[in-house]
Amino acid sequence: MDNIYLPQKVKITKIDEQSSTVKLFRFSPIEPSAFKKNDNDLVFNPGQFVLVGEIGYGEAPFGPLSSPYEAEYMEIAVRKAGAVTNYLHSLKNGDEITMRGPYGNGFPLDFIQGKDMVMITGGCGIPPIAALVEYVIKNREKFGRIYVLYGARTPDEILLKEKIEEWKNFGIKSIITIDKPAPGWTGPVGFVSDLVKEIEIDEANAVATMCGPGPMMDALEKILRPLGISDRRIFVSMERKMQCGVGKCQHCVTGDKYVCMDGPVFYYDEIEKNHD
Amino acid sequence: MINNKPRIAIYDFTDCEGCETKLVSLREKLLLLEKKVDIVNWRLGQEYFEAGPYDITIIEGAPITRHEVDLLKELRENSKILIALGACAALGGIPAIMPEKDRKYWYEKIYTSQYAPRGIDAVPLSAYVKVDFSIHGCPIDENEAVRAVEELLAGKTPSYRGYSVCFECKQAGNPCRLLENKPCLGPITQGGCGAICVSGGSPCYGCFGIRDEANIPALRKILEKFADEKEIERYFSMFHSRTEDFNKNKEK
Amino acid sequence: MMLVINDKNLEVFIEKLKEKFDFFDIRNDKLPFKKYFFPPVQEIFTRNPLSKSKTSDLKTAKTPAKFVLFGLNLPQLEALTQLDEIMQKPNEDFFYFQNRKQSIVIGLIDVEIDAMPGGDIIFQKIGEGKYKVWAENAKSKQIIKENKVFFEEIEDEEIESARSFELSEGAEWSKTMRELLADSENLANAVAWSHGHKIWDELAEKCLGCGICTYVCPLCHCFSIEDRVGLDDKCSRCRKWDSCVLPSFSRIAGGHSFRPTIKERYYNWFYHKFVRAYREFGKSQCVGCGACKKNCPAGIDIQEILKTILEDYKKVMSDV
Repeated sequence: MDNIYLPQKVKITKIDEQSSTVKLFRFSPIEPSAFKKNDNDLVFNPGQFVLVGEIGYGEAPFGPLSSPYEAEYMEIAVRKAGAVTNYLHSLKNGDEITMRGPYGNGFPLDFIQGKDMVMITGGCGIPPIAALVEYVIKNREKFGRIYVLYGARTPDEILLKEKIEEWKNFGIKSIITIDKPAPGWTGPVGFVSDLVKEIEIDEANAVATMCGPGPMMDALEKILRPLGISDRRIFVSMERKMQCGVGKCQHCVTGDKYVCMDGPVFYYDEIEKNHD
Repeated sequence: MINNKPRIAIYDFTDCEGCETKLVSLREKLLLLEKKVDIVNWRLGQEYFEAGPYDITIIEGAPITRHEVDLLKELRENSKILIALGACAALGGIPAIMPEKDRKYWYEKIYTSQYAPRGIDAVPLSAYVKVDFSIHGCPIDENEAVRAVEELLAGKTPSYRGYSVCFECKQAGNPCRLLENKPCLGPITQGGCGAICVSGGSPCYGCFGIRDEANIPALRKILEKFADEKEIERYFSMFHSRTEDFNKNKEK
Repeated sequence: MMLVINDKNLEVFIEKLKEKFDFFDIRNDKLPFKKYFFPPVQEIFTRNPLSKSKTSDLKTAKTPAKFVLFGLNLPQLEALTQLDEIMQKPNEDFFYFQNRKQSIVIGLIDVEIDAMPGGDIIFQKIGEGKYKVWAENAKSKQIIKENKVFFEEIEDEEIESARSFELSEGAEWSKTMRELLADSENLANAVAWSHGHKIWDELAEKCLGCGICTYVCPLCHCFSIEDRVGLDDKCSRCRKWDSCVLPSFSRIAGGHSFRPTIKERYYNWFYHKFVRAYREFGKSQCVGCGACKKNCPAGIDIQEILKTILEDYKKVMSDV
């Protein structure tokens, strides 16, 4: 009998401080030496999540941000916020932690192929979007125009700056905004309607993918709606309290959906009218 | 945790010292604790005292004299984490059952008008300073105290029990007092006590504090079926009437 | 032919079982039988760290010795079958079945059945001091074979006239409830429709949010996972019953709650039992045992709620 609650051991192979509260962790399986690949020949589908933690401290869900083709390791971004993340922040290279997953559905890779795509993310919601970008880069010829709109609270809190810079080489246009004006910041402030002018897509053949808190609704109203992307083509990664990750504990349920099993990625119109 | 071996001070104000006695009753677990922390100031348990600052200060009892209030404020200044130990510190407890006005009446009646009391009003620590965490109970449950310290040592924020006494009461196999028309504050009270009072045949007076978002008016309606207003007030005034959590939730 | 046992032999048989297995008579338990498979608090993993950084010595909870659960009534047997299904899909719950597979479940019923509703052995009262024995799986047949001196084979017809039984306490309530549950599709539609009904406001005033209904329900199965680092450095992971009516149930780090009021939480409890359960499993997650009504300190009666909703739903539908 497989134990769905039994985590696998992984070893931290790299820690990178991204901001004062966010560290990026790279970890690798101890045994076997590589992560298993799924039917798509990926280690995880971008948008899926893993539960990372340690016995005694708990587990928390993270969307891996590394390339889904990379089987040697996964990377997650950890913001210091609770028992698990505090513990992770106290660790060093070479330390062991536990992992379960990947779980959930991920973004609909078949559906988005051949289309223009606007990806919108905010705060710590960028990892699944980053993994999706890595997927796009590997399959660049199968995608049209790609935009990443990323809203951070302050310039200091912008994550994955180097990666975002690299993405330019693959024709991926990133627009970074911050929530409030800051000294030295010349970029846009907030997800404002003006940004629509910078995005050129074929609205009949475009999709949007979203992940992150805060200004997401703004982005929807001020950018996606004016761009003409219908709700049925908007894919949102939902956040809920998550504990077991495997459809048992009932914490993440919204309406008829388990965020851990049916999601975390939903059609926007699928969840819009859900009561909790 | 802040240092490798945090410095802990344990102080007591006006109370019966029952909660500290519960700490002493940890016995071998105290020795385990000694490996992880330095208890540098504990009047009840030690002969030597080190001055602050402290990483964690645990305070038992309600501050009821000017001196105790001043000491409390000083301890707050000198402590990274301040913890209330037991109902007197967390809720006002037994010293706070009687409001100041009634207290004056009894002073005169018992000690005559010549008596000059040192005591001012009895209120929880939180009336004067910020309290980071409360270890509840009258007396505390020593295992819950251990849990709070464990969580701090593991770098966690100590957590309150999110459920009512009822969860543990049902596990203990007790019949429901309310269904037998006997008063009980279990449903509006935080768990963690193991329903020790109900198991022993007593009502729950709520010494573990009001549970998050407790529906006090609903409980009052149930109590009104078999208890008069005065009796209900007596139950609520035991630990709750003067706490913020109670007054926030007592009306809809 | 049918297998029967008289009450004297039943007593001896039970004594025999007690010699061989851990034995639990559930009839006076305050918590439902689910606690034997899915305990209110269970340490599921432990580890003794050599150092802070190594995930060494991960230990999984031990499998218990074989045990007998005795005395489940009809709704409880049905609940057991349903809980097995819930715990099976979509992923098998390791810790539930770790206990479940060690169990021998014996039902004790006083109503007519056509087939076994669940459990391994059922004693069905068919007259004064006489029980018909139902045992269909290998495990139970083996136990009966080993104890065959206590059982007797008789002709089917013989019991027909002897069959009479008294209604136990709450039986009338259960009967009505089970009639409502028979049309679980209608229940699902009505409860889904009732979001916004004033009855939820009324219940929000009445409900203490103590969680007792969910603890005593044989089918409620929400849980939380709690981790602990002991003073002795032992690290453990516990799973603990949770209740969807508690405020912390859907609250995330940072304090935001997705169901901030008791009204929303109480409705969610109903929604799960009667709507989502129907859509997921084709039936309500309620067997009409009446435990929630019997144990609610606020006197909330789910049958009354359902009747009100069904009535109003019917009116609205006939107006359309």
